Amino acid sequence: MSKQFQFKGASEMPMISVSLGDMDWNKTGTWRTQRPFYEDKTPPCSAACPAGNDIVAFIQKIAQEDFEGAWNIIKEENPFPGVCGRVCFHPCESKCNRGSFDEPVVIHALERFVADFASRLNKKTGKAGEKRKEKVAIIGSGPAGMSCAFHLARLHYDVTVFESFSLAGGMLRMGIPSYRLPKNILDRELSNIEALGVEIRTGVSLGEDLRLEDLKDYQAVFISTGAHRSRGLHIPGEKEKGVLSGLDLLKKINLSKRVKLGDKIGVIGGGNTAIDVARSVIRLGKKATILYRRSREEMPAFEDEIVEALEEGVKIRYLVNPIRLGQKDGLKRLECLRMELGEKDESGRRRPVPIPNSNLFIDADHVIIAAGEEIEASFLPEGLEKKEGIVLTQRDGSTGIKGVFAGGDLTSNQRTVAHAIGSGKKAAMAIDAFLKGKDAEGMIIQHLIGEGPSLSIFGYLRPGERLRNPHVVTFEELNMDYFEPAKRQQESKSAVKERIKGFKEVSSTLSEGVALDEAERCFSCGTCNECENCYVFCPDGSILKREELFSHQVDYDYCKGCGICFTECPRGAISLKEEAK
Amino acid sequence: MKRVITGNQAVAYGVILSRVDVVSAYPITPQTTIVEELSELIASGRLKTRFLKVESEHSAMAALIGASTGGVRCFTATSSHGLAYMHEMLHWASGARLPIVMVNVNRAIGPPWNIWSDQSDSLSQRDTGWIQLYCENNQEVLDTILQAYLIAEKVKLPVMVVLDAFVLSHTSEPVEVPSMEEVDSFLPPFCPDYPIDTQEPRAYSVITMPEHFMEFRYKIQKAMEEVPDVSKKVDDEFRSRFGRGYGAIERYGKEEAEVLLMTSGTVTSTSRTVIRKLNEDGLSVAGLKIKRFRPFPSEEIYGAIKGAKKLAVIDRNLSAGVGGIFAQELRASLYPREERPQVFGFVSGLGGRDITPELIEEAIQYTVEHPQPEGDILWLGLKK
Repeated sequence: MSKQFQFKGASEMPMISVSLGDMDWNKTGTWRTQRPFYEDKTPPCSAACPAGNDIVAFIQKIAQEDFEGAWNIIKEENPFPGVCGRVCFHPCESKCNRGSFDEPVVIHALERFVADFASRLNKKTGKAGEKRKEKVAIIGSGPAGMSCAFHLARLHYDVTVFESFSLAGGMLRMGIPSYRLPKNILDRELSNIEALGVEIRTGVSLGEDLRLEDLKDYQAVFISTGAHRSRGLHIPGEKEKGVLSGLDLLKKINLSKRVKLGDKIGVIGGGNTAIDVARSVIRLGKKATILYRRSREEMPAFEDEIVEALEEGVKIRYLVNPIRLGQKDGLKRLECLRMELGEKDESGRRRPVPIPNSNLFIDADHVIIAAGEEIEASFLPEGLEKKEGIVLTQRDGSTGIKGVFAGGDLTSNQRTVAHAIGSGKKAAMAIDAFLKGKDAEGMIIQHLIGEGPSLSIFGYLRPGERLRNPHVVTFEELNMDYFEPAKRQQESKSAVKERIKGFKEVSSTLSEGVALDEAERCFSCGTCNECENCYVFCPDGSILKREELFSHQVDYDYCKGCGICFTECPRGAISLKEEAK
Repeated sequence: MKRVITGNQAVAYGVILSRVDVVSAYPITPQTTIVEELSELIASGRLKTRFLKVESEHSAMAALIGASTGGVRCFTATSSHGLAYMHEMLHWASGARLPIVMVNVNRAIGPPWNIWSDQSDSLSQRDTGWIQLYCENNQEVLDTILQAYLIAEKVKLPVMVVLDAFVLSHTSEPVEVPSMEEVDSFLPPFCPDYPIDTQEPRAYSVITMPEHFMEFRYKIQKAMEEVPDVSKKVDDEFRSRFGRGYGAIERYGKEEAEVLLMTSGTVTSTSRTVIRKLNEDGLSVAGLKIKRFRPFPSEEIYGAIKGAKKLAVIDRNLSAGVGGIFAQELRASLYPREERPQVFGFVSGLGGRDITPELIEEAIQYTVEHPQPEGDILWLGLKK
């Protein structure tokens, strides 16, 4: 405690004004008008991840060289890191704040690194423990169905997945060529889900072998049968011999069935399926030409895929639109019109407009139509409301039939793996709420990441553990004084002449060293990573270090509320609020 | 070992030989080469000293205040605007009784922009509680650094060692560089009175109420009053070890002279030649070199001017509204004395203009010829 000194004069006084003891008695916290506090916020990557991955958290684990820890974090939200790390179109990276500084963190490659590391360790998800009595049926073993199965199993439900094909995986198995997604990666992640006690029954088709009425033993059903029917062009001759659907061709190749193709293949379409088909055709030793009615800028296929296709010798003819399929000298003859770009349409892309009398002819041995996929509605149970080519659901995934939920490509036009995984997770949470008689909609709103629609199940499973302010951290809220430009790392790709020899994976997993470097690039937006800037800068020594995780704490006895910690935090993990008067 | 080195290199040698622990500085012409020399040695690992990069002179001094409080020997160097920017921290260093040594290379303060020699920068810091020592040549620069640490650490006050821009800073002269062993035996390691100890935390420079503040200032004054004695002992000790000494002042020329010329810095060197020549011509004139400006060597000066009737002072500085600062200080120190020679206050050589032998002779002739000055300021070499 303070002691007032009374000196008679200079001769009694020390040379300088210095206290003889410590100043702990002087609780300067009483001077504070504003209060700093540690508060994790939402990083833009997570908010943009349709699968709801806790990206910053798993990258932090990588940076700490705790790869198993990183795997555990990913598995909280997503059973398919090996798949997503390879084929997700990574919207997280387009929102990465680092993109405003130099280049986004290569998040997808880090996710893949973690998944492949875990597989080397032979990491498996353990059994979920004692099961509840309720049973849930899932129809369709694609990413939506299996994500739903995974999370329901973690919630201790007895889950059976029905799959019409002979192998599980849905579009992941049928639609994606193995040079992008090797089958063993998919098998590994599916078997991890099975290891939780999920039963998969293959060769059972909805509508034919199985009707909703047969599922009386199940207290809830999740329908995720996908969108497997190739959209037609609606032009004369498309039903003739020599014309194939892109998806059918990919299925055949993926199921290692024999495919008989001529040398010259025309592929119609500009999406990822068209690119997958063309690149697969090249790998079968044939020539592939893609015909697309708009220009490259409007192509819906991912840019990287287009680049790789061109590298591999795929030809793309832009601004041509087939109007008739005929025959000539044993070849298919495609009659096309040249197009030009007009005004923007509702998709925001410039509408292709035919140029009159610009007819041209393209000959090919086979023509493959890859103009998009749609849902097969014929086998769906009655009572499901459909609109504009999808099944309509409530926000929680529930349908008009009580206890029946739907998700994945069946219910959305955003047909990506990550969206499917996210919708499966949402359905799992909603089914759990439904079976427990809770308000599913309210619960889902409570567990949105940022403003949604991305969703986290972690907070649902472990309430109070990973609290984050839904505010999504902007670039302007970060302190760039503490970051230096660093080059974005990339997965290496095999040489083109090697690639086109077969269906071996094109890109390779990051090495440990590269992954560590890349993890260091993460700003860790809104998430304390114990960089200790606050500890170093606090002029009052009022940042306390603790042993546990999230070890820093403000010592409010002495913190004067100057706000330096708030300003100097590189990642916006400290908030400041006015002190209650 | 004798080396041909610039004044700034002499500073660097002095710092190296003094085993300085921490250097923090911000570059400014004409000081820059001091810091270059030191930072290169530190970067190459040959000098085991911490160099703290800073964004300003204010921060440089603030950093040294921290380091010196922590109990290590510190150094910085600056000039002109840099010194002005440090002003607040100069008070802090002396108020906290920190024996920091700083070199200031005298340079005019703008505007108009000017990088040449002028004492206005260091003299405008005369009231900050720092000891100020002015040097005449590169040997004196090196020797003064070594003495400065010993004086500073004995009286617990910071010392500013001052040298002229370019005339010394960038001009090479033969300098005897003592060996590390010789300096080690002269300058012991620094032992702080109130070292920082994490086991026994203290608050430094804590708020002090009016009932005690004045006494701390009194203690600083008392320390200043010890300086003449302490620095004489240090100088004597230095002379006995190295064969060179400087004193607070030095009188040269004719012994019974009635006219004395008082100078500081490199003007003294030029004055020595002029006075030797005038003495040979039969003129009764002598020179007075002022090395120590703070604390002002009143006693020493009074003892050295006995019998003189007139004192000419050449000031390479101007306190506008009064005149030359050395002349002003001299007048103030003579006022309570019985013998009060006339003070002729010449102002010359501002902004680096050469103070030539002709100008010095003109000042002496004026003083000889006039019974009293025609004003407080006598402009020397001014183009009217």
